[in-house]
Amino acid sequence: MTISAERESEVAYPDPTPPHAGGIQGWTSRPGWLSQHLGTAIVGAVAGYLIGHWLGNVIASGYNYVANSGVNAIANTGGLLLGALGWLIGIGALNYPLAKMVGMEPAPEQETTSWTRYFRYTADHKVVGLQYVIGVLLFLFTGGLLAMAIRTELLSPTSHVFGPGTYISIVSEHGTMMMMMATSAVVGPLGNWLVPIMIGARRTAFPRIEAFSFWIFSAGYLVILTALPYGGFPTGWTGYAPLQTQASGGMMSYLVGFALIGSGMMAAGFNLAVTIVNYRAPGMTWSRVPIFVWSILATCALLTLATPTLVAAGLFGILDHTAQTAFYVNEHGGSSYLWENLFWFFGHPEVYIMALPGFGIVGEILPVFTRKPLFAYKVAAAGMVGVALLSFFVWQHHLFQSGINPDMRPLFMLTTELISIPTGFIFLVGMGTLYKAKIRFEVPMLFALALFFNFLIGGVTGVFLSDVPVNVTVHGGFFVLSHFHYTIMGGLIFALFGGLYFWLPKMTGKTMNKKLGQIHFWMMFIFFNLTFFPMFIIGLLGQPRRVFEYQQNLQALNDFSSVSAFILGSSFLVFIANFAWSIFIKPTPAPPNPWNSLGLEWQTASPVPYYNFERIPVVLTDPYRYGEEGAPPVADLGEELVGAGAGPRAGTSTGETSATSAE
Amino acid sequence: MTDTTTTPAYSETPEEREFELRASIGSYWTGGRLFIGMFTFLLASEAFAYFYLRSSNSGQLWRPRNVTAPTGIGWSIYAVVLVSSVLVIYGQWRMRRGSVIDWEVAGWTAVLGGLVALGLQIWQLTQLPFYPGSSGYASCFIGWAVMNIMMLFGATFWIETVLARSLRLRKVAADDGPVQLGGSPQAQIFRANVSACTYFWGFVAVASTLFWVMFYLI
Ligand code: HEM
Ligand SMILES: [Cu+2]
Repeated sequence: MTISAERESEVAYPDPTPPHAGGIQGWTSRPGWLSQHLGTAIVGAVAGYLIGHWLGNVIASGYNYVANSGVNAIANTGGLLLGALGWLIGIGALNYPLAKMVGMEPAPEQETTSWTRYFRYTADHKVVGLQYVIGVLLFLFTGGLLAMAIRTELLSPTSHVFGPGTYISIVSEHGTMMMMMATSAVVGPLGNWLVPIMIGARRTAFPRIEAFSFWIFSAGYLVILTALPYGGFPTGWTGYAPLQTQASGGMMSYLVGFALIGSGMMAAGFNLAVTIVNYRAPGMTWSRVPIFVWSILATCALLTLATPTLVAAGLFGILDHTAQTAFYVNEHGGSSYLWENLFWFFGHPEVYIMALPGFGIVGEILPVFTRKPLFAYKVAAAGMVGVALLSFFVWQHHLFQSGINPDMRPLFMLTTELISIPTGFIFLVGMGTLYKAKIRFEVPMLFALALFFNFLIGGVTGVFLSDVPVNVTVHGGFFVLSHFHYTIMGGLIFALFGGLYFWLPKMTGKTMNKKLGQIHFWMMFIFFNLTFFPMFIIGLLGQPRRVFEYQQNLQALNDFSSVSAFILGSSFLVFIANFAWSIFIKPTPAPPNPWNSLGLEWQTASPVPYYNFERIPVVLTDPYRYGEEGAPPVADLGEELVGAGAGPRAGTSTGETSATSAE
Repeated sequence: MTDTTTTPAYSETPEEREFELRASIGSYWTGGRLFIGMFTFLLASEAFAYFYLRSSNSGQLWRPRNVTAPTGIGWSIYAVVLVSSVLVIYGQWRMRRGSVIDWEVAGWTAVLGGLVALGLQIWQLTQLPFYPGSSGYASCFIGWAVMNIMMLFGATFWIETVLARSLRLRKVAADDGPVQLGGSPQAQIFRANVSACTYFWGFVAVASTLFWVMFYLI
């Protein structure tokens, strides 16, 4: 029987989903100010913080972990943890688990087009995606302001704006915020918004876990901000013991904040991984899955499996400060290397969490603007999976200089150099797609091309770093700093902006201004390179990271870098102006498919209906068949069938489609 | 406030309903396994800490005088967890053979067992013969206790929600037979959830065994 024949017996429901027996109408979907929203979350967070702080003081009054610091680590931690809990209760994250305890399932969410839905706990993955857009940008710009402060201090080798303690707190806060943000920078906004639509799904597998991921991510943002009023922390983003153990106030914000962000990463990765495996539309075989979805799947594997180690490491650190265990205290039977190992066992997969989604984005953008199929699609997908697997076996390359057994060094040097092979494959896929192509230089494409330029520099310097003799001379200096800014900022953040220019028209229905986009791009691209390339030289000339004084003869290079950094920073003002103007102040409606993409996400209606597709699409081919005469459409969306009988899908037999969906 | 509450035009063909059903059953399957994978990495970090500190024995302070956490309580926790897991697994086996009541009794007993084990685990923390920071062993033990509380809480919560759901569904799905056996979509999804939960309890038993060996036997 053909699908069209099946479809004639369609059943219409008054509710968006078949009614659940014993459902609860979640508070979140009840309209009006009396329901739960951002406001109640803030009230909950403040109340939770005060209660936790008070409780901590009751349990352990006058208890100073660090002598004379005046900070009671128990009250401090109690406040942060209960504050986060209050935030989650306030937004309504606990309604559902509690209802489950009495056997209820949530009733279908009422669809609403009111703007207030962006301030609520919602099961709509598109709303969560846009919440993440704002959350990630806020995170990025807060961290960016701190970067401006760092570069201001480094204008002069000897005369200072900040004291040494303040300076290291600013550096630590900057690094930590940026790393936290980057873990979710693409998975959060674009992953959540796009993946279900790209695979032809009407929903995600666990929408409330997805919403949870956003609200705990934002709790992590608030918690890491508290590090500054608590006096900051001196460890940098890597949190090394024994400094970690000796540090006071702000260190708890680091540990609790990372644990919260980690929980968010696991939740987001869990939901998307399960969705990709189970909700691919009929016909969406593994060899037709868009490359962005592959990159997210590989990232999700890392998010779910590497992040628990970070959470465990953070838990041990919290226990060291509060219960006074000695995990990281050498003198009491612990070991500071334990932190270093746990942290980097997570930390290196983490760097690929920050790389793979970027490659996924450019993998989608290149074919559209070259009108060519993605070159060697299968190699790209395999490369992503290969990178994800290998990334668990290289972490010791961060510890070459920390006294590890010297015999271990060649091994980890080898694994690190091995991982550059699949990474190189992904790079070559991009080059192959560009080869002999007629390129349309639209704004998203500019960002995609910049990624390849930047990542080449970032990746090659990584191979230098993996070489133990080279590593001896440059470890702990500006060379490393520059390496990872080239990969993370030059790679992931460029890709993120490319992705935003590319997909925001679909996500918001509004077009970003092209002129402003170009100005943003060129400022960002030129001054990113002018900021960070000198840092390679600065590093080779011996300037260490995280130190606020440096050799006199390096001032010229540092000043050059600082001034470039200020212009780089202001390039984001252009983006913010463009974003505010084009989306909120003077919205220009976007055409349904402005770039003429074949991707499935562009084929559904605009604005995308609550359930994404009127009919679950039947996928007919991969989305990269550009420039091919007579290529079939990517999917049969089924709409035309409602009245018109058999369309192009008449030939597709149900047997075939159900076989693929049962995989 | 004009928060709109329009009902979306949403419809499903029988084929789409079948697709959604299979996807949600599959999600429980994949999600259950992935959840175990995540917990494995969490506990592996604890095990890594244990063996790392044990082998480095810094300051000869891995485990001075071979201190051990209270064995009586420790063995009781282990025994209760093991019995509860066996009950959950056995209960599902009986359920699949049509004996709904066996599953329910076994399940609620496991809930009780989980709560008892949680209580014992918390109580044990107040009875330690060592200070948390006195040795590597002591620190690792505290770490394990916290993770064990998380794990037992999760397992107990999960089985409780499944049991509560079955009670609630008993009233509504009567014409399809009990939800544990029926053929309705709801019943199929329910059983996928039970099966994922049972799997997790099996994992809890294995993990408890390993850490019991690590902290009380070797
Ligand atoms: C071709 C692949 C790569 C290789 C061979 C490589 C190699 C290395 C090595 C050996 C180090 C240690 C340097 C040291 O501290 O002495 C390092 C540091 C680092 N890499 Fe890479 N890397 C690669 C790609 C990436 C990517 C894709 C990212 C992120 C998107 C990244 C982010 C980082 C970060 C954040 C650090 C420094 C962490 C810190 O000390 O704060 N790397 N890399
Ligand atoms: Cu690394």
